[in-house]
Amino acid sequence: MQSTNDSSPENSWQTIHDTMDQSRNSMYLAGMNTILLMWGGLMALGYLGQFAILSFASDFADRSPWILAPFWLVIVAIGIVASGIVGHRASKSRSDGDAARNAGLRVFAFWMVVVAAAFLIPGAAGLWNDETASSIPGVAIGIIALGYTLFGIMHRPGLAVVGVGIAAAYFIPDYLLGDIAEAVTAVLMLAVVFAGAFWLRKSGVA
Amino acid sequence: MTQEPLVLDEIIHQPVRLRIMTMLVSIPESDRVTYGFVQKSLDLTGGNLTTHLRKLENADYLNVTKEFHNQKPRTWIQATVAGRQAFTEYFTNLQKVLSWRPES
Repeated sequence: MQSTNDSSPENSWQTIHDTMDQSRNSMYLAGMNTILLMWGGLMALGYLGQFAILSFASDFADRSPWILAPFWLVIVAIGIVASGIVGHRASKSRSDGDAARNAGLRVFAFWMVVVAAAFLIPGAAGLWNDETASSIPGVAIGIIALGYTLFGIMHRPGLAVVGVGIAAAYFIPDYLLGDIAEAVTAVLMLAVVFAGAFWLRKSGVA
Repeated sequence: MTQEPLVLDEIIHQPVRLRIMTMLVSIPESDRVTYGFVQKSLDLTGGNLTTHLRKLENADYLNVTKEFHNQKPRTWIQATVAGRQAFTEYFTNLQKVLSWRPES
């Protein structure tokens, strides 16, 4: 966004287009800062919980590998409800009327589709069974990271970097660290979303 | 035949006021935005924003209303019908200025 005081017609034209883009994006990013931090906390909690289950209740986890699905389902459900509330309150503090409401609904629908895809695509790919259940988190994280990346490309490039960071926070420890991967992923995930939220706050859009 | 010279509305043409008006007219007529949202989105200081809002309000291009929400004061800003018309006219004139070429 230009901040020059040059009031040439060309500059004014550019100012109008930049401001329209910026206003629209600001509507779509209502509460994103808090939502991002909250999801980081939830995902860190999820991976620490998964680490605890696999480390301290390994016999149970071996007998019932499906336990991780309902465990994550509860975490995701909490995140969805909380995101809706935070987004609604944030948009109310910015604007009232159709524009904010429509933007909020579209963002909510976007993330619902991403979360649904993270559960349904592994099912469609035949991963919901005892032998392949361990690869479900990787697919789900890949889809969620893709969601962040696409949303970032459309509205704020920094969020696309957060998406890449989330993928890296999962896949690098998973590939390199074996048993302690979940714990390291939890810490890295927190670091990525805190960095993303800090950047959003600094850029003054969320 | 001589054409009337194109005049860009000086109140809107000032860069900060242009950004404020663009933001207000880019949402539906019935919508309004908070002072804090405008300040944050356009990265303006409180004093700067207040000064420009007053000029636009004096020209009847926008309304500033104060309300209480959960016992906290909240300032709402909304473009008026006159403000939207003035912006549309400004935009049309700006397009004409940009497409104008001197006759050779």
